[in-house]
Amino acid sequence: MIDSLSITRTLFEDFRPLAVTIFYAIGYGAIGIFLWGTWIQIRKYRYGTAYAVTGTLISRFKQMTGTMLTHRTLVRRDHAAGGAHALIFFGFALLFLGTSTITVEYDILKPLTGMRFWYGDFYLWFSLVLDVAGFMLGGGLVFMMWRRGWLKPPKLNYARPDRSPADPDYDRSGYRIEDWAFLWSLLIIAVTGFVLEGMRLVWLQGRPEVWDYRWWSPIGSAFAVAMRDLGLGAETAGTIRSGLWWFHGLIALAFIALIPFTKVKHIFTASASLMLRDPLAAQRLPRVPDSQESVGFSYITDLNWKQLLHLDACTKCGRCHEACPANATGAPLSPRDVILSLREFANKTLASGALPDQVELDIHGKSPGQVSMETLWSCRTCMACVEICPVAVEHIPIIVQMRRKLVEAGDMDPLLTKTLQTIAKTGNSFGESKRKRGSWTKALATPIKDARKEPVDYLWFVGDYASFDPRNQKVSQTFAGLLQEANVDFGLLYDSEQNAGNDVRRVGEEGLYDLLATANIEAMKNAQFKTIVTTDPHSFNTIRNEYGDFGGTFEIEHYTTLLRDLLTSGRLEVTRPLGYRVTFHDPCHLGRFNKGYDAPRDILKMIGCELIDMKRCRDNSFCCGAGGGRIWMPDPVGVEKPAQNRIREAAFIEGLEVYVVSCPKDLTMFEDATKTTGNEGRFVVRELIELVREAVASPVVLEAPVEQLA
Amino acid sequence: MATKILVAVKQVIALDEDFEIRADGKDVDADFFLRDLNEWDDFSLEEAVKIKEAGGEVEVVVVTVGPEEADESLRKCLAKGADRAVRIWDESMEGSDSQAIARVLAAAIKHEKPDLVFAGVQSSDHSFASTGIAVAGLLGWPHAAVVNQFDFSLGATQATIRRELEGGVLQMMNIDLPAVLSIQLGINTPRYASLRTIKQAAAKPIETLGLGDLSLNAAEVGEVGSASRVRRMYIPEKGRAQMIEGSLAEQAAKLAAIIKEFKGATV
Repeated sequence: MIDSLSITRTLFEDFRPLAVTIFYAIGYGAIGIFLWGTWIQIRKYRYGTAYAVTGTLISRFKQMTGTMLTHRTLVRRDHAAGGAHALIFFGFALLFLGTSTITVEYDILKPLTGMRFWYGDFYLWFSLVLDVAGFMLGGGLVFMMWRRGWLKPPKLNYARPDRSPADPDYDRSGYRIEDWAFLWSLLIIAVTGFVLEGMRLVWLQGRPEVWDYRWWSPIGSAFAVAMRDLGLGAETAGTIRSGLWWFHGLIALAFIALIPFTKVKHIFTASASLMLRDPLAAQRLPRVPDSQESVGFSYITDLNWKQLLHLDACTKCGRCHEACPANATGAPLSPRDVILSLREFANKTLASGALPDQVELDIHGKSPGQVSMETLWSCRTCMACVEICPVAVEHIPIIVQMRRKLVEAGDMDPLLTKTLQTIAKTGNSFGESKRKRGSWTKALATPIKDARKEPVDYLWFVGDYASFDPRNQKVSQTFAGLLQEANVDFGLLYDSEQNAGNDVRRVGEEGLYDLLATANIEAMKNAQFKTIVTTDPHSFNTIRNEYGDFGGTFEIEHYTTLLRDLLTSGRLEVTRPLGYRVTFHDPCHLGRFNKGYDAPRDILKMIGCELIDMKRCRDNSFCCGAGGGRIWMPDPVGVEKPAQNRIREAAFIEGLEVYVVSCPKDLTMFEDATKTTGNEGRFVVRELIELVREAVASPVVLEAPVEQLA
Repeated sequence: MATKILVAVKQVIALDEDFEIRADGKDVDADFFLRDLNEWDDFSLEEAVKIKEAGGEVEVVVVTVGPEEADESLRKCLAKGADRAVRIWDESMEGSDSQAIARVLAAAIKHEKPDLVFAGVQSSDHSFASTGIAVAGLLGWPHAAVVNQFDFSLGATQATIRRELEGGVLQMMNIDLPAVLSIQLGINTPRYASLRTIKQAAAKPIETLGLGDLSLNAAEVGEVGSASRVRRMYIPEKGRAQMIEGSLAEQAAKLAAIIKEFKGATV
């Protein structure tokens, strides 16, 4: 009978005391370098401006841990890479925990109390688990190498759309060396670990407490058996083991020491980034405090510490690069490159204990690390990047803050300048008279109530496009008719309504946004209503998420939920199921921004349409290109526009009859794109409202009001 | 000694498509006024601010003749980089024509003693295109109109300018300083004044001057001091235009009917 206490691994077996001392010295040195490097990173973040974390750290920690353990954000749109990451992550985590367990016994419990637990059954199970962990780690790493070396997904190509091949920072080849060094060093650590295990078994094959239990380390023993059969003797194995032991140990320690200086630090920065995640980062942009002298970001030190940390969290996974509509249509913008540029800039300028001259801190421009005006103005603020980022990097607030600085300096497209001036003057982007805001209602048989003069249930915030654009006016009239038929009590603000400001804010003209939001809030407060309804997702977003910061907290819904309710409750009745084969375009501000994915789809089902979703749907919906104020800026000529790219995607759907939208800007963008891509006549673009109108052909006769019965 | 550039600006009236003429028939009903800085003045102010930003000691002073509402336009000028703003007004100035306004501005220029005076070529509402030139006449200063390029170094006694003439011809000339120049659109790209800077400019003081401050008397301004008076303002009868809709055949039939109607034939 073998004493269970002897079933263990003797640490430093056959080591001279000096060797052990040297090993500990190197170990402490590695930890020292790690701590020093960590301090350098923390010092860098401390150069950022203040940021107050909301909510409790515990709830944030729980949410981060949940995300990490489920790998929820990592498997999205790339199951293979997410799965391989999970293998590496859990393999690494288990091996780390295993090593820590040994440390707890050997360096703490045993010297202090004489207690031991790392033997017998526990030791055997421990060996098995760690062998599996090592296998997972190695397997994940090999897959990642195959992916990088052979699959070469385009999103891992670091070539930048905002630089030309002649620029020194065009393809960031330095990162590729780091990527491979990371994979190889981890793989070498894992493989040498197994070899070491095998060598120890061969070396100690004479001891039954080792050899008889070898299969608890299946990979190590398979290797050991093979080597023994090939004629490896115990003594030779012992010698190899001594050499390899140092090799394995030194690489592992070097790896630890280098964590803060390499991409490995994402272990910490990505976790912290996930913990600091703002779920409304793109939906609710930061307000400029009244006391603040300058506006927007000019210098790297204008970023807050959380944003500096976000820069370091990026793992260059390329998901945002792939999702970005600007990048997809050849604009000089990749959200990934904005983040990486600023990271490189921060690493260059904030690495030491003292700040360089302020000129050196300017992040605007075309030098390495700087972000150019053309890049910033290419952004549609569609939120595709923020939404898909697995480590919660928030690109949009940074881009808009940088735009605020550009607006302040007047560095923008002349057409945009003109539009902003027009909005400031007339309260709408069409340059129409304020008085004409309600003109579209004149075509209605029944006038719409003036919510400023009488109380209503629903205040309809119409928005610029639905008020002034002739095509969208028709949709507004149709929607009004539907509401009237369903006996919904609703009214308008008429000429007291102004542009809601959503896009003005995303352009970066915060002063004008403040003015518009304040004026609208005042007008809303002077009206009596229960809920706001709007057909415009952009207005919907800013009223829902941003007006609160300006003193206006209102209940608001997008028309899709209201129409769904009216259809469900029978106040609108489908008399003519349409039977069309349709696809639905999720508007950024309804879908990604406010998670309104289902109501429009439910309506389509209720009115009898056959919905075939495009590949890029719901959270992966592809922006029409109009967001972030881009609708007021000309797109480059001769290059595919995002809306065209999208229509071409829809055109792949066999037998498509209707491309359904639920946003006024989408109607404009996609009707245009259908013509310019030559798809006119193949299918039509329709507002969901228009389809509902068609399906609810004859008005439902409801009970007559009481006074009429009398 | 700082170089002082005085920029004469005007708050103009813009109109919507729908508006009404005042009961006395001499102007548009003030209810329909949309006020804004004259487009040309954006360019003349930008030219002055550019000189200031090029370096050296330069002071840019914007001056307008108008009631309190004009402060809004002056604030926009301050937001865009003017150092000081002066508004001159007296009830008696109501109804002034370009000559009377020029008289007030000339008095202000004597008061301010600038080295250069910029004005817009014209105002978008009244389009007299004479105020700037009349100021030069009253001061006895050299002047140049429709300037679309301006080269000048601080302290120089002359400037080189380029003017737009008829038929696309350009004229380069030297002009002795001090001088009055009326600036044409397109000479530069006016900057955008963000709402924030306009709001911040609200804190800057606007000097207000009256008749007495400029040693003027009521007889020199307003309708009495003007060489012209408005008799009537009206909207001329518009010609008719009609979109013919329907199928091709219907359109053709309608068109034929209209032609016949004009010919006086019976259908």
